[in-house]
Amino acid sequence: MSASTAPFKVRYQRSVGDPDLKPRLLAFQRSWRESRDAQVRRLEQRTEQSFHELRRDFAAVKDSTLERIDDYIAEFRANAEAAGATVVELSTAEEAVSYIAAICQSRGIDLVVKSKSMVSEEIELNHELEQQGITAIETDLGEWLLQLAEERPSHLVMPAIHQKRQYVAEILGEELGREFDPDDIPAMVASARDGLRRHYLSAGAGLTGANALIAETGSIMVVTNEGNMRLATSLPEVHFVTAGIEKLIPTWADAERQLQLLPRSATAQTLSTYTTCITGAQPGKEMHIILLDNGRRAMRETDTIGDALRCIRCGACANVCPPYQIVGGHTFGHIYTGAIGLVNTTFHHGVDHAAGPQGLCVSCGACQTVCPVDIPLPMQILEVRQRAHESGHAPLWERIALRLWAKPRLFHHLMGLAAAGSGIGRLVGLVRRDHLRLPLPRRLRWRSVPALPLRSGQTLVKSRPPLQPLTETPSAGRTVELFAQCLADRLLPTAVDSAAKLIEAGGASINLPDSQHCCGLPAFDAGDWDTARRMAKHTIETLEGSEHQIVTPAPSCVISMQDHWPCLFQDDPEWRSRAAAVSRRVHDLADWLEGPGRLPDGCLSNGDSHAWTAHRFCQASNRNDARARIDQLVERLTGETARPLEEPDVCCGFGGLTSLAAPEVGSGILERKLACVAESGCDTLITNNPGCVIHLRAGANASGARHHTLHYADFLAARLPKNP
Amino acid sequence: MNTLSDRTAVFAEGLRAAQGELVACRSWDDVWKHAVSLSAERPAVSPAAYEYLKQGDLPDVNDPLRSIADRAIGITQAQLAIAETGSVLLIEPAPIDRAVSLLTKHLIVAISEQDIVDELADGFGWLAQQPQAAAYATFVTGPSRTADIERSLTIGVQGPSRMTVAVLA
Ligand code: SF4
Repeated sequence: MSASTAPFKVRYQRSVGDPDLKPRLLAFQRSWRESRDAQVRRLEQRTEQSFHELRRDFAAVKDSTLERIDDYIAEFRANAEAAGATVVELSTAEEAVSYIAAICQSRGIDLVVKSKSMVSEEIELNHELEQQGITAIETDLGEWLLQLAEERPSHLVMPAIHQKRQYVAEILGEELGREFDPDDIPAMVASARDGLRRHYLSAGAGLTGANALIAETGSIMVVTNEGNMRLATSLPEVHFVTAGIEKLIPTWADAERQLQLLPRSATAQTLSTYTTCITGAQPGKEMHIILLDNGRRAMRETDTIGDALRCIRCGACANVCPPYQIVGGHTFGHIYTGAIGLVNTTFHHGVDHAAGPQGLCVSCGACQTVCPVDIPLPMQILEVRQRAHESGHAPLWERIALRLWAKPRLFHHLMGLAAAGSGIGRLVGLVRRDHLRLPLPRRLRWRSVPALPLRSGQTLVKSRPPLQPLTETPSAGRTVELFAQCLADRLLPTAVDSAAKLIEAGGASINLPDSQHCCGLPAFDAGDWDTARRMAKHTIETLEGSEHQIVTPAPSCVISMQDHWPCLFQDDPEWRSRAAAVSRRVHDLADWLEGPGRLPDGCLSNGDSHAWTAHRFCQASNRNDARARIDQLVERLTGETARPLEEPDVCCGFGGLTSLAAPEVGSGILERKLACVAESGCDTLITNNPGCVIHLRAGANASGARHHTLHYADFLAARLPKNP
Repeated sequence: MNTLSDRTAVFAEGLRAAQGELVACRSWDDVWKHAVSLSAERPAVSPAAYEYLKQGDLPDVNDPLRSIADRAIGITQAQLAIAETGSVLLIEPAPIDRAVSLLTKHLIVAISEQDIVDELADGFGWLAQQPQAAAYATFVTGPSRTADIERSLTIGVQGPSRMTVAVLA
């Protein structure tokens, strides 16, 4: 069984065991990012529009086309057929394969040369044709290498990005019967030209995909770099086009808009080498355009998923994806890879094929930020996760853990026990630098287990007198409800207390709503929406008693309340409005300190000067929340400048339960982050989400890193004047 | 509005970024002289370019691709060029029109300077009005390339490995 078709668990183990994959993909992601960003900046300057405006405009074109897809298909068909093509609409992969096979058989064709087509991968065309005695040869170099190695693409645009040149030399050597020097890449490329030439000359049919189907003239547009597509459509008598129905666009002007976004996002080129437009069959030849559904209409009918049909297959969503960098596309995807692969696999190939890969998503949200058609991929992946959960793909330990977590009282008892255990650990010398010295299995040794402090955050707040106000703010004299967050309350209690102090410094007083527990995020994130709903309802009941504003040191809870609750209660108007009434009152601490509780510039400057830097909670950053920029807040209040940190918005690898279920993914991403932190030369790393603090601290502890990791509330509160 | 020469400069920049080259020519005669200065082999010439040049080897009607495959130099003519991207637009309805741009090693594309337009949108606007031209139209931006082996950019795969645009004043 080849590396790409084995069961998910086998693929996972293989990819995390490959020492070359991570560094190679990291180098790729970084260089793509740099050149793509430069391209996008130039585009923005030239068009005087932001990337966001440009993508919204083109997304609107795609949306309105999809809404009336049947009209556009009819228009396309009429025009293409008037130009001599045959257009067929087929529902399933089997139908598409049979159609192509039948045409080949009736024309006596036994060799098909193919240019790159993801739809042909989707329907596993090569394999199926082979069964019927028809040979299909890939002519795109990357695809050809995959075919020789019997593998699937590991990236939408760079299909063979996982292959090392030594391996390429080996498979080419085997195919062509001569030796290749792995370091002589030009020679290997040249051999592909010689190796493939005879196939072009003898093939009866050529097959291509289409990047766009232009309805107004019935034309296809194909974007390539190698020149193979033009060869494949020049000699053979028959031209097959395989394309999903979502590739339709109304006009040539729309095609041009697509081209503003596609090559820049795909390969960071202004334009690919060849943009070929073909209208109809060439004189004396046949052209068959196969418009495939294969789950696409079902996607369109699914509320949260429909937007995924805007996809132009640029691959950008993989290029910024932290888990993709760790495991590559054979593991992070099925046939379609990257974030979009986690979503559309469910509809093209079934939820069983999506279940394993989707479990690796850390919900950082980076994919949507670069998607040139603004697909809400993060939310769609969570929808797929829910489906996977419902069809029984969640591991038992996870289901049990969530059940326990969902019971506030039981949770508090268990945490109390764990805190007591940690206390005993401290007495007997089992705790060093706030982490337990436990013999962990090797897979988990990259992260230490934090020892629980004896007192919870809420206890710390209640057991001290309120702070004297430092200054007059608009919040002076008001009461603020503090939502501690379940995780921070037990594992990072000082951050809860520090948040309270910073609010008090602005003149407000703190109220701690009794029986507060968890907003439901861990369960929502795990796809267990029933449990998430129960937890959310508990939180809503706890918080809806008053009209006061609510502040939390955990931006993840704010996102959960504002973004996830509406999903959880979409079919329940009563709870939806109760949820909205609560989430409207919720503020992240950083927002509060810039807003109603705004502390003045420099008020926390105490002459201390730390070498500090800030990791920004990725989810908030990627939603473009101003609150994510805690470095600016801290600089403003302390007058101390942050050390520059590379990739400050890239995930730290916490990713909720993902780092437990797939420890190699959590540790791989953490390693990338800690390398940047070390590079910054800081002695203090601050960040804004409690989960990230705990994860980064435990990882730093296990790796022996020298810096301290703090929630920024702790960093700031330490600078407050001591109470007289 | 850009003046003609500004636009040509933008075009040259785009072309260079795509590893293409530019030569300024006063006439088709200059294009031919440039071509024959590059190689001792006789240039292959597309039907579109032959109308102006009246010399060079046309592809064989019965076997156009094989007849000029791997010829050192090919000359063809573009309909338009796009300053923004450094691309040329080739209109090549039949295989015989395409043979030169597909399979010669060093492709020379002649274009009149006044046929350089500002943006890709202008090129698409033109095509939308020309159903005949859209039968088989290709925007070519530099020589063929791949980065499929370890992302290492290699120029020249199935198509030409060098491309020069000859801009006719
Ligand atoms: S989902 Fe967006 S980023 Fe990903 S391949 Fe499709 S268009 Fe590109």
